[in-house]
Amino acid sequence: MQNDNIIEFHNVSYRYEADDGEEKLPLVVNNVSLNFKKGDFIAILGHNGSGKSTLAKLSNSILIPESGKVLVNGMDTADEDLSYDIRRTVGVVFQNPDNQIVATIVEEDVAFGPENLGVPPEEIRKRVDNALKAVGMYEYRGHEPHKLSGGQKQRVAIAGIIAMLPECIVLDEPTAMLDPRGRKEVMDTCLKLNREMGMTVVFITHFMEEAVLANRVIVMDDAKIILDGTPKQVFHNSELLKKVGLDVPETAKLANDLRRSGAPLPEDILSADEFSDEILKLLRRK
Amino acid sequence: MIKDITIGQFFPGNSVIHKLDPRIKFVLTFVYIIIVFLCKNFVSLASIVVALIAVILLSKISPKLIWKSVKPIFIIIAITSLLQIFYNKDGTVLFTIGKFSLYTGGLYMALFTTVRIICLVIASSMLTYTTSPTMLTDAMERLFSPLKVIKINVHSIAMMMTIALRFIPTLIDEVDKIMSAQKARGADIESGGIIKRGKALVPVFIPLFINSFRRAYELAFAMECRCYRGGEGRTRLKVMRLAGRDYVAIAVIVLLTAGIIVSNKLLPAVI
Repeated sequence: MQNDNIIEFHNVSYRYEADDGEEKLPLVVNNVSLNFKKGDFIAILGHNGSGKSTLAKLSNSILIPESGKVLVNGMDTADEDLSYDIRRTVGVVFQNPDNQIVATIVEEDVAFGPENLGVPPEEIRKRVDNALKAVGMYEYRGHEPHKLSGGQKQRVAIAGIIAMLPECIVLDEPTAMLDPRGRKEVMDTCLKLNREMGMTVVFITHFMEEAVLANRVIVMDDAKIILDGTPKQVFHNSELLKKVGLDVPETAKLANDLRRSGAPLPEDILSADEFSDEILKLLRRK
Repeated sequence: MIKDITIGQFFPGNSVIHKLDPRIKFVLTFVYIIIVFLCKNFVSLASIVVALIAVILLSKISPKLIWKSVKPIFIIIAITSLLQIFYNKDGTVLFTIGKFSLYTGGLYMALFTTVRIICLVIASSMLTYTTSPTMLTDAMERLFSPLKVIKINVHSIAMMMTIALRFIPTLIDEVDKIMSAQKARGADIESGGIIKRGKALVPVFIPLFINSFRRAYELAFAMECRCYRGGEGRTRLKVMRLAGRDYVAIAVIVLLTAGIIVSNKLLPAVI
């Protein structure tokens, strides 16, 4: 089957199981249909409880949809026999790096995935070295993970996934527990994976500044997708974003405010560079 | 204080001792611990001490760390030595003060026990100091793999040990954090008698346990995401193959054992 989509969600719904005797919990993912194209960098935005993290777990058969279908390269995640192949196609990185690292030495942890796949030792060595170089942690290969900073640990966790050579990597709020520097390290790593290695990246976050760098932004609220498009298209809807508790990036907000007070600025300003260019143009005209 | 725990810690290095095959290291440490208890005269006692010092020097582990590993057991050593000195009435009397007489048997026994305990503790710390926990549990998995015949899942046990060792520092950090948080809210953890202090620890350990379950849950997800399916069909990054140095190490320990047995036959036993 020739297909441009790596992951397809077809009318997917999911709810977590309630404790015994309690009422059914509400749906956390409600009739969502989505396609992730190969080679894209997709950001999924939403505040806590919007269902965005559940999408990550649905995408590699950690969770099975209550109704609807999730297809990874055409493989149905509900089929348990395929879960192994699905997981080597789509790797997931979680929020807390401490709870994803299995081994006591960086390189041994990165080797964990390929070891499980039964890759021969010489090949594991190569993959571990390449993965650590790709995330810029090669010099730390002999270190103990608990002595690294949060951003470094998260990059080790990412290396652990890319050593399995997946086609797609899904990151579930990988920057939520990090300081600004760690966030930048992780974001830069993801951009590099996408642009230099051609990996499909699905980046789940609630930081606007991170979503700006994607080439497609999906906004979730209350178990549904409310916006889907390029960053410019999405951040243009500042009213709707504000209503669901999200904020447009600072520069876009400032541009919107200026526009409202009469400055003839274009409507799709996102980055600081674009913004300063437009301001310069305005000033020159006067 | 809590960060001083060195059990199961590993100090990466490049020495011959670090590079020994972990299986060999494991077995040799075990043999060493046995022969420590075979020593019955000063020559053999001296030879095991010399052997241990040689290993320490070869490993380039700093003496500070060695000291750290022995420090906590000094009370045990002191108590056993004192008991020997007071109650062992073998051999001849060295001197008498009032009701108390010191016998040679007591003195020698105290000396031997002290040296033996110290050697034992240092030897086992040397094993963990110079072997990464993953290698160590890997070695155990391979050494005990014959137990599969009697339906013991050696791989799972080894995996559990790796994860336990991996999480020791993480959980220690967490205990520190929770303690500070409880202190900040006025909890008094460090004063009072044993019972009072024990009770004060309850609010530290409850959050620790709850968090550990959450961690376990997330770790299980992360391991599944990385295609973990148990020991079947797994390969390893590091292949264990015996090298020249491993045979040298075996030869050394065999000679040491033989020497001690011979010296026990030839020389009179001191204890």
